[in-house]
Amino acid sequence: MINDIRVGALIASSSIKRGNKKTLMFIVFVLSLIFMNLVFLPSMIGGMMVLFTGYMQDYPFGDVVIEPSGDNTYINNADSVLQKVRAVEGVRAATKRLDVGASIEHKQNVVGVTVTGLLPTEEYEISRYPYIISEGDFLGDLSRDEIIIGAAIAGTSPVFGEIYDDLGEVRAGSLVEVTYSNGVKRTYKVKGIMEGTFELVDLNALVHYKEIEDVYGLEGSKATSVVVRVDKQGTEEQVQDKIREAGVNEQVFTWADKSETLIKQAMQSMGAIDAMSKFVSLIVGAALILIIIYINVLHRKKEIGILKAVGITPRSIVLSYAFLSMFYVSLGILAGLVLYLSLMLYFQANPVIFYETMEIRPVIDPMLLIQSMVTMLTLSVIAGTLPAWSVSKESILKAIWGR
Amino acid sequence: MIIVKNLKRYYGTGETAVKALRGVSFEIKKGEFVAIVGASGSGKTTLLRILALLDDATEGEYTIRGLQVSSLPEAERSYYRLTQVGYIFQDYALINEMSAAENVYVLSMMEGKSKKESYETALEALDRVGLKGKHNRIPDELSGGEKQRVAIARAIAKKPDILFADEPCANLDTTNSRQVLDVFKELNEKYGQTIVMVTHESWHIEYVDRVITLEDGILISDERINEKEVNKK
Ligand SMILES: Nc1ncnc2c1ncn2[C@@H]1O[C@H](COP(=O)(O)OP(=O)(O)OP(=O)(O)O)[C@@H](O)[C@H]1O
Ligand SMILES: [Mg+2]
Repeated sequence: MINDIRVGALIASSSIKRGNKKTLMFIVFVLSLIFMNLVFLPSMIGGMMVLFTGYMQDYPFGDVVIEPSGDNTYINNADSVLQKVRAVEGVRAATKRLDVGASIEHKQNVVGVTVTGLLPTEEYEISRYPYIISEGDFLGDLSRDEIIIGAAIAGTSPVFGEIYDDLGEVRAGSLVEVTYSNGVKRTYKVKGIMEGTFELVDLNALVHYKEIEDVYGLEGSKATSVVVRVDKQGTEEQVQDKIREAGVNEQVFTWADKSETLIKQAMQSMGAIDAMSKFVSLIVGAALILIIIYINVLHRKKEIGILKAVGITPRSIVLSYAFLSMFYVSLGILAGLVLYLSLMLYFQANPVIFYETMEIRPVIDPMLLIQSMVTMLTLSVIAGTLPAWSVSKESILKAIWGR
Repeated sequence: MIIVKNLKRYYGTGETAVKALRGVSFEIKKGEFVAIVGASGSGKTTLLRILALLDDATEGEYTIRGLQVSSLPEAERSYYRLTQVGYIFQDYALINEMSAAENVYVLSMMEGKSKKESYETALEALDRVGLKGKHNRIPDELSGGEKQRVAIARAIAKKPDILFADEPCANLDTTNSRQVLDVFKELNEKYGQTIVMVTHESWHIEYVDRVITLEDGILISDERINEKEVNKK
């Protein structure tokens, strides 16, 4: 066996050393594309995930979110929770919100929405809601008969225009009638339209916190969530622990906890696409590697016959092809990595822009890279040895003289 | 050394089978330099391939030094090809990506010799066929005669019992042919190498001790030319 390995290595190395360099370059090039194919799309999808989780932080959840415990609909004394939370080290800002279901009507058009009651002045420190008003203005402290409507339901969204039911060209200043889930009806003037190019935002509506309290007859500072922002990104988990230690008995989540479950739901289709693309890439990659090596082997069928005729064992011949294809694939992976990383650098500087505002920067997932490398190397050994093995099984006469 | 009894080789089966060898018997003694001649299609190559264990006979017996090699399993035949039998192809059959030395020493490495030892064996063999100083060249950088001599070096480096050559000079001009035949002659006379060579050219006969003539797959004559050689063993 050791002799087989030595001879296999000698055959492989001489064929690399003196073989056709153009062919080698071509093979490496194709292999590098296969590698790229394996890792590029997942990186882009990863970038979309990051974008998505960014939305999670910027709108519904903040960095840490506190929600009612058990079966409770509301956090009972949100102000006392807020007091405890704001005292926690590392917390930059916190606010309470009330989310309720409602339908909005405008000129015979009706759509269902989630209405979030919030404290407008506090939101500047918490979310990006105040900064994404595309038309009109954000709510103020005195806004009691005013509402902010998401672009998708207003019907002005360039992104979601055709996808969702909308109210048909609602503008700042239009009047809309809101029917809350408890049956109470209120008429509001649209103070502004918000456009976050994100469904959870653009299908939402915002009113003043007091408005919801009033409509539902709530007392004692109830809230459906308390949203917390931290001083430093990455400290969410410590802050989460500290909030619990500070005596907050409600459920405390980090944005990642929340996004995970949400992503699992919302990104399921994305995940399926991702898995499928990986699978197809792998099949295509495996087939290509197999074809490349197979052609290479066929091309050198006579040589295999000669080697056998002079007494080289079939095992060394098969090994030499395993070495050879491992070498090709290693070079291919290396070239692919260079290509991939330069593309990554490029896209970091020039992100792909969706819907004018969504910037997608691909993320590098080291696990995926390693996985792809191992997969390709494994494939190459199989792809390299199978054809060589089948040719080395042929009779010498057939291999050398073709009959 | 070699005994062949009633060797037959049919290509294909049934009515359409080509009967390339129809029952050939002979014996070759150690140290002989034998030529196999005959018209094209008479079965020379077929016979030689069987003798060199590159092909199987349909029928008949073939023994080398008393060992019935015709019935050996492939792994052992492979080992036999590696260690006991040298075969020289008409078109040299060198590995183009290997230097002259590598073409030769890959076999010694296969036998398990160290790299250094293998390299020395290769240089010695190349030296013997008159290729001293050209061991680093690849086949493309050698003349036809030189390539054939590398092939001979590859075949003799392992010091085989018998050396087979199928029209080794078919692609060579007279000068190169003479160089190759001189090498054979020297190997035969100086080292007692047994050689069986298929040839078309009548002038090659002057180099050999014995001529076996085939016609239509049958041995029609077996002449000894050099009595002294025959008496040697
Ligand atoms: N693989 C094969 N399949 C079928 N027929 C074959 C095969 N190899 C050889 N033959 C036939 O067997 C016969 C003997 O062929 P062989 O090659 O042994 O002749 P040869 O004496 O070497 O001829 P040449 O002098 O032309 O080389 C020929 O009729 C040839 O056509
Ligand atoms: Mg022939």
